[in-house]
Amino acid sequence: MGKDRLLPILALILLFIASSSSVYVYATQTTTETLEINNQEYTIDQVFSIVRPRISNDSQYTGIALDDLMIKTGVTSPETHAYTLRGADGYEKTVTWENMQNGLLTKNRESIFSDLPKAFRVKDIVTIEVK
Amino acid sequence: MMIDRKFLVGIIVFGSLWGFAECILGSVLRDVNLPAGAIMTGVFAVGLMTLSRTTFARPGMQTGIGLIAGGLRLFNPFGGCFICSAIAIMAEGLLFDLIWTGFSLDKKTTQTLTNQVSLGITSAYLVYVGGYIITQILTPVFSSAGFYLENLVIFIPQILASGLLAALLGVMTIPAVFALKKLHLTIQDRLYYPISIGISAFCWVFVIANTLIILGL
Repeated sequence: MGKDRLLPILALILLFIASSSSVYVYATQTTTETLEINNQEYTIDQVFSIVRPRISNDSQYTGIALDDLMIKTGVTSPETHAYTLRGADGYEKTVTWENMQNGLLTKNRESIFSDLPKAFRVKDIVTIEVK
Repeated sequence: MMIDRKFLVGIIVFGSLWGFAECILGSVLRDVNLPAGAIMTGVFAVGLMTLSRTTFARPGMQTGIGLIAGGLRLFNPFGGCFICSAIAIMAEGLLFDLIWTGFSLDKKTTQTLTNQVSLGITSAYLVYVGGYIITQILTPVFSSAGFYLENLVIFIPQILASGLLAALLGVMTIPAVFALKKLHLTIQDRLYYPISIGISAFCWVFVIANTLIILGL
């Protein structure tokens, strides 16, 4: 088959993939007011009441210290684990304990890390998994 | 080996224009909460790369354009993850080059409107999605956190979905570039270098000055 004919077929296949992915994403999007940390449910107010506050290096963001959050929620030997932060849209990033020591969680449930690129800012976090 | 100066200056001017658009217009689009990534790729990236490809018809040019544009983006550390943006831009140039070279699209294949529209969808979608995936791999690789394949795999449906807007914009962009080419607008040889260098210099000076002003230096 010539490339003249192949190109429209490929374009249609790509449009189908993009459209069906959009439907899938919309159908599987989760909305929750709680935060699951190490398999336990918390509200954002609960975690803000038990964890010490932290301000980002550039003083632009305030929130709670992610390392303290792990300790206060009962993670043992925290330095031996990796941590996966997952947003409501499915976006997730896995970080080390050293990163958690430089990270904060804002009231809007967004992660900010002073030692990592902005790609590690997970928005609307619903789960923090301890690995 | 003789260096084609016209070709090199073409890479610099197109790369500078794309980088300028990403830094200045991209920031404005992000500020008003529009999907800047898809718009920049579907309109500016694909538009400028198609124009350069159909003008010079030489493989490798768009890779160079992406490197220049991505380099300029690094001088503008605002508006989301600028390292990710720079990596994505560089990857997009390379991917566009590979797609057009792979399909041998410099000749007859781009004559009909159907093929131009198809090419708009294919180029914009693959360039955007490919750039997105590459930056999701390379950004963590160069950070202290490291790359985890499962982080990428679980987010693939969102990446595939986010390319839809870029693909739809590509439907208009590539036919528009081919329509523009029909006007046979040309620059006289003696004006080519001053105009190209002037435009490139303006783009770089504007972006760097803008960064310094925002940083208050």
